[in-house]
Amino acid sequence: MHIIEGFLPIEHAVGWTLAAVPFVAIGVRQVGRQIRRQPELRMLLGVAAAFAFVLSALKLPSVTGSCSHPTGTGLGAILFGPLAMAPIGAVVLLFQALLLAHGGLTTLGANLVSLAVVGPLVAAGVFRLARRAGASLALGVFLAASLADLMTYVTTSVQLAWAFPDPAGGFAASFAKFAGIFALTQIPLAISEGLLTVVICNALARFNPRELQDLNVLGRREARV
Amino acid sequence: MLIEDAAYGNRWRRVSPAAKAVFALAGLAAAFAAATPRAGLGVSLALVAATVFGARVPAGRYLRVAAPALFFLALSGLSLVFSLQPDGVGGGLAFRATAAGLESFATVGSRSLGALAAMLFLVLTTPLLDIMGLLRRCRTPEVLLEIMVLCYRSLFVFAAAVQDTRTAQAARLGYGSPRLALRSLGQLVANLTLQVWQRAQTLHGAALARNNDGPLRFLPASFAHGRRDVAAAAAAGVALIALARGMA
Repeated sequence: MHIIEGFLPIEHAVGWTLAAVPFVAIGVRQVGRQIRRQPELRMLLGVAAAFAFVLSALKLPSVTGSCSHPTGTGLGAILFGPLAMAPIGAVVLLFQALLLAHGGLTTLGANLVSLAVVGPLVAAGVFRLARRAGASLALGVFLAASLADLMTYVTTSVQLAWAFPDPAGGFAASFAKFAGIFALTQIPLAISEGLLTVVICNALARFNPRELQDLNVLGRREARV
Repeated sequence: MLIEDAAYGNRWRRVSPAAKAVFALAGLAAAFAAATPRAGLGVSLALVAATVFGARVPAGRYLRVAAPALFFLALSGLSLVFSLQPDGVGGGLAFRATAAGLESFATVGSRSLGALAAMLFLVLTTPLLDIMGLLRRCRTPEVLLEIMVLCYRSLFVFAAAVQDTRTAQAARLGYGSPRLALRSLGQLVANLTLQVWQRAQTLHGAALARNNDGPLRFLPASFAHGRRDVAAAAAAGVALIALARGMA
């Protein structure tokens, strides 16, 4: 869920942009360093951004019968790491605003924080924790993708509740209202995205285990199986 | 893509992108400077008129591009209009429309319409390659620009691959039920993910074969009367902001 152009008050729009800048700057520095070490990464990141943009245009069937598009934050964070997702996310969100009028320029910072910072950090953290706890690749991927998706919407709810507190109940009532509306559609969609990401990773593990091993997604033993 | 078609086919295609960006930024500033919903609507109408009558973007195409954003704006507006309030009968909570909510929606909705119209003015009159050229002149980090250039040049290839794969899957009843649809979609994305590596390796090989060892450079487009255009856009932008303040 992208916050649309002009929806946030100016102080919130500027505040979220300032909050997003350090993450993008750190991501750009890290990616720049990696590209100097491995020049082939330059093409990979650019093509991956195009892949994420196209992924966001795919319709995802939900268990409630509705459909939406996958956020791709879980898959991206598992494959490329959470820090690389900030610059990739910045480009994808900018392109979505400029090519599809989806999201906006003044809300780019807020959308970046929810979709390209919080989502990937949650996905990478959950995936590592799950794998360390001995969870299978499928369970780790499902938890990472679903929870990343859910936390993205929780963050958006926090952003909207903060900008528009309820006249009677303040921030808490407003958060309950926004999160309640999102929960109706987003919990089933998060489960759908988790399942979809498992299907993708299973297919990758079956046909291209070497690439997943290079990215530290699969262990050596699993890659051989 | 509707936006790209309009960006390459409008009357102001050869006007300096810097001028169009200045006017769009002034439009955004005017949308936020508008103190009343009436002023916000005035700014929106002025920006729509500039896009449709000035740049001659067809009105039908404009509406088709704006429709999803307007739908989301209406949906978001509902959450502002309705507030959680005590039920009064059972002691629970219920959603009720409030006067404060309606007022808030009028303010936020008109501001959002103005900002949306400003963004649509820019994207419907300026191709993305020109915007990227402008960002390069504004000293955007090279890494971000390279990701943008590669993303832009690859996304149409991926879009075509998605379309072809979906057609092939649908022809084999791959989307016959929700379960099959999830499986087909998973296989489609997994296949695309593999293509990310394959295409990146091919591009890297092609760049090396041409002695590329650094940034990807392309010949920037040149625009006649750049300074004159920027001055005119700045004047129009100031007038727009004055309109927003004057209608308050």
